Amino acid sequence: MGISLKRLDTIIGTRQLLYTLLIIFTLIPMFFPLRLPISISARTKKVYSYIDNLKPGSYIFIDFDYDPAGRGEIEPQAVATMKHLFDKNCKLVIASLGTTGPVMFEIMRKTNPDIFAGKEYGKDWVNIGYVAGGESAAAGLARSISGTVAADAYGNPIGNLPLIKEADKAEQFALAIVYTTGTDTLYYFVRQWFTPYKVPLIMGILGVMGPAAEPFVAAGQAVELLVGQVAGAEYEVLVGRPGIGLGAMDAQSTSHAIILIFIILGNIMFWSVRLRGEKR
Amino acid sequence: MSVVWRRTIPQLLVAIILVVMTALYFLYIDKTTKATLNYWDGLLINYSIVIAAMAAIVGGVDLARYHVSLIMKREREQIPFSLITIILEVVCVIFAFYALATGVPILTQPQFSWIYLNLQVPTSSAMYSILVFYVASAAYRTFRARNPPALLLLIVGVIVMLGNTSLGFAIWPGFTPLKDWIMTVPNAAGYRPIVIGVGLGTIILGLRLILRKEVTWMGRRD
Amino acid sequence: MIEAIQIWLSAALVIWIWSFVYKDNYLYRLAQHIFLGAAAGYSIGISLDSLNKTALVPLAKSPTTNMHLIIPIIIGLLFFFKYSRRYYWVARYGVGIALAVGTALAFRTAPMANIIRQVNAVLLPLWTPDPVKTLNNWIHVVITLSALVYFIFTVTPRVVEGRPTITYRVYDAVLRIGIYGMMVAFGATLANTIMTRLAFFISMNIQYLQPYPLESLSAIILVAIAILFAMRRARAG
Repeated sequence: MGISLKRLDTIIGTRQLLYTLLIIFTLIPMFFPLRLPISISARTKKVYSYIDNLKPGSYIFIDFDYDPAGRGEIEPQAVATMKHLFDKNCKLVIASLGTTGPVMFEIMRKTNPDIFAGKEYGKDWVNIGYVAGGESAAAGLARSISGTVAADAYGNPIGNLPLIKEADKAEQFALAIVYTTGTDTLYYFVRQWFTPYKVPLIMGILGVMGPAAEPFVAAGQAVELLVGQVAGAEYEVLVGRPGIGLGAMDAQSTSHAIILIFIILGNIMFWSVRLRGEKR
Repeated sequence: MSVVWRRTIPQLLVAIILVVMTALYFLYIDKTTKATLNYWDGLLINYSIVIAAMAAIVGGVDLARYHVSLIMKREREQIPFSLITIILEVVCVIFAFYALATGVPILTQPQFSWIYLNLQVPTSSAMYSILVFYVASAAYRTFRARNPPALLLLIVGVIVMLGNTSLGFAIWPGFTPLKDWIMTVPNAAGYRPIVIGVGLGTIILGLRLILRKEVTWMGRRD
Repeated sequence: MIEAIQIWLSAALVIWIWSFVYKDNYLYRLAQHIFLGAAAGYSIGISLDSLNKTALVPLAKSPTTNMHLIIPIIIGLLFFFKYSRRYYWVARYGVGIALAVGTALAFRTAPMANIIRQVNAVLLPLWTPDPVKTLNNWIHVVITLSALVYFIFTVTPRVVEGRPTITYRVYDAVLRIGIYGMMVAFGATLANTIMTRLAFFISMNIQYLQPYPLESLSAIILVAIAILFAMRRARAG
């Protein structure tokens, strides 16, 4: 053979080649949309039916706390679930335990104005903004929102907001949803919202955090998880409002395909070299 | 100053707060006492929220100091970059203080929000998304079935990857429920000891602080 | 005009940061330092916002009733003593209180949240009329226990005179089950990590690049020049 397997392995494994192939495969759906159908997992349906069965007008606490990078994965979940909650006339109290949360909330609100249409600030929803302290902030807000912050994210005195007069303590919330890119935040809510006050939790998280968060569901500490972009896309289908999640699904398929090809090729080369006894 | 003020009192303060807050949580004498204890518990929590905000500010000052030190070293190539970092940080802080002084909520202060929307958000997202390239490279170079456990890892990985995409659903609709089963049964069982470990770690850290065995938080040695 | 600059800047910053994977260059370093400065400035600003809501506004509104909020502000200011060579230890009072409250909150709820609830979750019936449920319960119990043995009780029994004892064999089998159980968990994590990284990348394309091809192209050309320049410099040594 003119070229040794080891050399071929090195050529295929060239970083720049792999990166360029990844970029090309990610861009394919832009030019040739695949429009592959997506299945709705039983777990996303469970979240949907849980929210659907909430009493109309229930008070919901939302921790809006993801990084800019997590927007593609978590914003679709947040938009779709918040639309569902608003459709059920639920009242949302939003706060952020992470510094980037308030920015991501504003971006979400500006790019999805229809979700908030017809909803009155102060009565139907309130944005507390960032509260420093991590676990202390989670504990403080659970005890009393008005006892922790004196103003909301827009400078309104907290006492002037009718919604906070109705829902100020963890016990008054029917559900808490945590949209976060930090695994620590999940522990904060399990320890400070579920353990002392038994507030049901739904966790909207990054794909990479999903496996580590599963024990919370198995132990009954969380109702269910929404994991990654795929869960967001599924929820978008369920509420009938396509968004970033669904828009990214084709690109997810093609880019996953190239990663799978890399894995298979890598293993073929590895075993060929090994079986031929070439030195690596 | 004596070692008592430098080390012993801060350590005792930590131990006392830990013991008192734990007692406040579990102790029940009567309704009135509980309400009083609750008030003190809440006060400590609120204080810690205020202190945490101040700590984040110190973190920002640290970064500026670091870049000032780089400039002082007079490394010709680094100076313009460090200057950019410092200037941007200072500009943000000026606008934040301006917002505070004028009573405008910081997030809606136009210049501050321009900086975070157009500079911070895209750069921060790009910084994290860069990892995808390393995943692509690792997929070829390191995800290899060298032994039976690695083979199992790869098989599960491939099934879950297919379950995560419409591509998998198009190949075989069973990938989605199979992925859900893997996640909720063997994966949950595999991660449970880690959750228990985190709990044990937290308890041990608390006990070490109470017993004054944990000293790393005090920084430099005296 | 300003909007055009914004669009171009966002697209350019993204591409310049990504260019690092091909080769370190000036435009990457420029974007990286813009990120550092903006992130640190933003973090200070948003922390001031939190401080304002939790301490300054209440103090300004009713100074007499909220006078006690001066205490945490002073404790927070003590942090700045860490820059003093002589009085660095004063900062320990601030750090200590924040650390103690945070740890206490976790310390008092962790036994229930992290341990008792998780142990309860594996107290499952091992024989049920439903064979699938029975299998799932066995997997839950066996993998949890064996992975727990692997993580927490990592003491391997000795092999006496080259002949493994029964205890050793049992322990070895348990450890192996633990390892395989964790491999399943790590396989799931691997797949989900790939999904997340791809999602980051795809959504960056959707948000900043695909809608603005000209801006993206001009940023790519600039960064290509910067990379060529960096390569020439590297060759010149």
